[in-house]
Amino acid sequence: MLDMQGIAKIFRTDLIETHALRNFDLKVEAGEFVAVTGPSGSGKTTFLNIAGLLETFEHGTYRLDDQDVSRIGDDQRSRLRNEKIGFIFQSFNLIPDLNIYDNVDVPLRYRRLSASDRHTRITSALDIVGLASRMKHIPAQLSGGQQQRVAIARALAGDPKFLLADEPTGNLDSLMARQVMDLLEEINRMGTTIIMVTHDPDLARRAHRNVQIIDGQVTDYKPYEGPYEPSAIIGVTGERASG
Amino acid sequence: MSIRPILSALLRNKTGAILVAVQIALTLAVVVNSIYIIVQRIEKIGRPTGIDEANIFMVNTQNYTRDFPYEATIREDLAYLNGLPGVVAATTINAIPLSGGGSSTAYFNAPGGKGEGVPGNYFEVTERGIDALGIHLSSGRGFSAAVIRPPMQRTSEFVPEIIVTRDVAKQLFPDTEPLGKTVYSQLSQPARIVGIIDHMHGSWTGWDKVGNVVLHPVTDCCKRISYLVRTKPGDRDRLMPIVEAKLIKTSGRVVNSVRTLGFYKDRSYSDDRNMAIFLSVVIVLLIAIASLGIFGLATFNVQSRTKQIGTRRAIGARRRDIVQYFLVENWLITTSGIVGGCVLALAVGYWLSMHFELPRLDLYYLVGGVFGLWLVGQLATLLPARRASRVPPAVATRTV
Amino acid sequence: MLSYNLHLACASYRRNPTLTGLVAGAIAIGIAVCTITLTLYHALSNNPIWWKNDQLYAVTIDSWDPERPDNDKHPERPPPQLTYKDALALLKSDIPVHKVAMFKSTRVLDAGKADAKVKRMDTRVTTGDFFRAFDVPFLYGGPWNAAADQSPEPVVVISKEVNEKTFGGINSVGRTVRLDDRDFRIVGVLDTWRPAPTYYDLNNGSLENPEDIYIPFAWGEALELESAGNTNCWKSEQINSFKDFTNSECVWIQFWAEFSSKADHNRFQSWLDGYAKDQKKLGRFPRPLNNHLYNVDEWLAFNEVVTKDNRVLVGLAFMFLAVCVVNTVGLLLAKFLSAASLSGLRRALGASRRDIFQQHLVEVIVLGLAGGLLGLILSALGLWGLRLMFASDFDQYASLTHMDPTMMSAAILLSLLAGIAAGLYPAWRIGRIQPATYLKTQ
Repeated sequence: MLDMQGIAKIFRTDLIETHALRNFDLKVEAGEFVAVTGPSGSGKTTFLNIAGLLETFEHGTYRLDDQDVSRIGDDQRSRLRNEKIGFIFQSFNLIPDLNIYDNVDVPLRYRRLSASDRHTRITSALDIVGLASRMKHIPAQLSGGQQQRVAIARALAGDPKFLLADEPTGNLDSLMARQVMDLLEEINRMGTTIIMVTHDPDLARRAHRNVQIIDGQVTDYKPYEGPYEPSAIIGVTGERASG
Repeated sequence: MSIRPILSALLRNKTGAILVAVQIALTLAVVVNSIYIIVQRIEKIGRPTGIDEANIFMVNTQNYTRDFPYEATIREDLAYLNGLPGVVAATTINAIPLSGGGSSTAYFNAPGGKGEGVPGNYFEVTERGIDALGIHLSSGRGFSAAVIRPPMQRTSEFVPEIIVTRDVAKQLFPDTEPLGKTVYSQLSQPARIVGIIDHMHGSWTGWDKVGNVVLHPVTDCCKRISYLVRTKPGDRDRLMPIVEAKLIKTSGRVVNSVRTLGFYKDRSYSDDRNMAIFLSVVIVLLIAIASLGIFGLATFNVQSRTKQIGTRRAIGARRRDIVQYFLVENWLITTSGIVGGCVLALAVGYWLSMHFELPRLDLYYLVGGVFGLWLVGQLATLLPARRASRVPPAVATRTV
Repeated sequence: MLSYNLHLACASYRRNPTLTGLVAGAIAIGIAVCTITLTLYHALSNNPIWWKNDQLYAVTIDSWDPERPDNDKHPERPPPQLTYKDALALLKSDIPVHKVAMFKSTRVLDAGKADAKVKRMDTRVTTGDFFRAFDVPFLYGGPWNAAADQSPEPVVVISKEVNEKTFGGINSVGRTVRLDDRDFRIVGVLDTWRPAPTYYDLNNGSLENPEDIYIPFAWGEALELESAGNTNCWKSEQINSFKDFTNSECVWIQFWAEFSSKADHNRFQSWLDGYAKDQKKLGRFPRPLNNHLYNVDEWLAFNEVVTKDNRVLVGLAFMFLAVCVVNTVGLLLAKFLSAASLSGLRRALGASRRDIFQQHLVEVIVLGLAGGLLGLILSALGLWGLRLMFASDFDQYASLTHMDPTMMSAAILLSLLAGIAAGLYPAWRIGRIQPATYLKTQ
């Protein structure tokens, strides 16, 4: 699913060079739920940006879904982000001027799907996160937990290969955080690969596998052993909504 | 990219959009009407006068001694001017064409002076008058030297023959061939039409009957005598000081001025020209200001939506999708302004036509203005939109 | 508090100099365009003798054609000038304190000096009351007396410019100048006098220079002088001599009367109507009785000195200013909101909504005034440009493009209003910001 080898990312200013990632290797198989941890400044966010095709890198190769994405153009990266990756951000990043329905609609618009197809996907995604009744609300009218669930619905609506979650509960209180984690586990059980970046060891423990980054390198890398068996596969795409 | 989500986002941030739409509306109203006025003025200034303006100059003299021998002087002056190498023809004339000063009287197609009569701006010229003015006779003939009345003090005597423009001819004789017909003065004195001028402008450029010109075979007289001199192309400026130096030598008179006909024409049209220039400046400034407003709003929107743009990029928007988003947004704002602007432009046009007797606004100008403002809006948005498209998608993962 | 707010305003300008410059620039351009058009309008609608608006009247009699009015567009208006014989008749009335009958002509001036060029001069042929009625200032000497008007005496008043060119600026009263072929004795030299518009005679335009030479009215008939202004005739008459002309129904004389009281004005109006009725009995004045006395304001309106173009320009200029103000509202809103967190912080530290509102209003007013000053400079440049645009041959436009103190204060006031109009909403909006909103990290 995701295979990074020897990746290096260097930030340069006039005075200093910072090696955010160096010789970074990581492999994630389909269906996994991986937690990436590490202290702040360790390179977690850089890893996340590169894994999500948000940033480019200097050295190494990155294969995503059996495709080498190390040196592809900006438009192609946009397309891959749109089709294969679902993002869940710490601060939700909902568009405040759009209602819930339109927020979930945003990635589908960029994929130029038909109106009926989009409608099916949006309603089923909102069903999964349990917010189908709130689709005319704007983000400011929802609680933090609800907003994050909308963000998850937005990530799911595009039927991505994997979800990339960045401190998904960082802005939430513990009750809401637990609900969001339950939802992520549920989604993972339905077959979607999840990579979650967090600094919270308790959260990380709920993942199947923990990867720790320190000083831009994976220090606690356990290669994957044996196939992961999902308990059930439930799709959320329009075409396979009945699953 | 579809319009509905952009529109609904827009409706949640109305203030800025409304401000720009109001600017667009006012700009459209002012620009369209101003351009309409400018075009009218340029057309007015550029109307053909029928006269060889470029090669004509005027010599205005005034004599001041008792018993000044004006008759002999005029004869000598005309002989000198017409014999001067480079001069095509010269005549005395009672008023300067296109200058704003002149004489008019009424002509009738029947004796008795009944009815309105046709107003004609008349010029008293010698047998060289047609050549001196450089006007074109479409039928008939010019004056013969024999028919020209010699210099004479005040008289009510009419002339035996006249030459009229086609405009005058049509008004006097709408249905018949005017050449050879007899016209009558207010005192019912007859004169025969011996020639028809294609087209010629008279003294008053602002008059709606500026083409109503009549030539009389009369030598202008007696205190203030003006000569109209037409030269070969390129000789005008060279001959002006030569003529002035010669005429100034005659004792008992002064040469008030020697000026090109273009000078008088420019002066007559100066208000129209200044109006056109002033309005052009206003239009340029206004479009600059409106562009600035559009640019400012778009820049502000890009700045305040950086995170949102990053998020859109992260979830799959290409750079051109972002550019398109802002262009479509601007197009919506501009269009709403244009809708209001059309109403306002028509209202201003109506107001101008009612109170200032300007013709009603031509709708083509409105259509042109609409497309123009669409273009201005898109161009003014392009730069901020491109800046927006360069927001890195990684902005989405920044927490602050 | 004001000084503190001014201090904050300066800090704000420094924080965002480009936007600050744009705001001031937008106001400046709007003010400049308005000031320029208003200056032109103001110059033309100016009443140069406002203090006599209740005393000084242009006299008109409707002597025109029974078939149609003098002015087709305004049939209620009598012709603006009088016939020669009516002017003579009106001069006989003793109701006005001053009576001016006059026309413009030209004479050739010969100062009798070998080196001075003989030159054509614009000449006003007028009764001596001209100088008294129009409060014309004298440098030396004064007007001629009434006797000089009766059987014309060879006396002349010259302008300051002619006195300088001909006599080097000395007191030339008593010297003689030659006009055409006749000697005239100088009785007065005018001081600088440039009424704009030239309300007393609008035949040749409203921005002419006053004449250089003034001679008694009776010389007109004695020397058979013709008008250099307009001569309009409607009647079919045999005119074969100057005598025929002065007896004709042609109008070419301007007539003004000054009254010492409203009662005299009314008395003269009835006297005038009585005169017209008497003339009707003699078969003249075939039109309905329509004699009017116009004060200077009414006279300027009658002659449409402020052109339609001027009005259109003023209207468009104010729409232009409106665009600039709306534009500024947008710019200010962006400017204030970009620093909203600072206002949120101030609110948290105890500033009231009013404090925040006032702080931003002060900022805007200072900006508006700066824009106004900049606008004044731009207007001065623009008017200078207009002066260049008008060819130097018609220097009468110089007075048009001169900005007087009234216009300057109007411009400043306008910029203040524009600034407040533009700043009110943004300042109110920023005052309503919830302190909490901008104190959170996001």
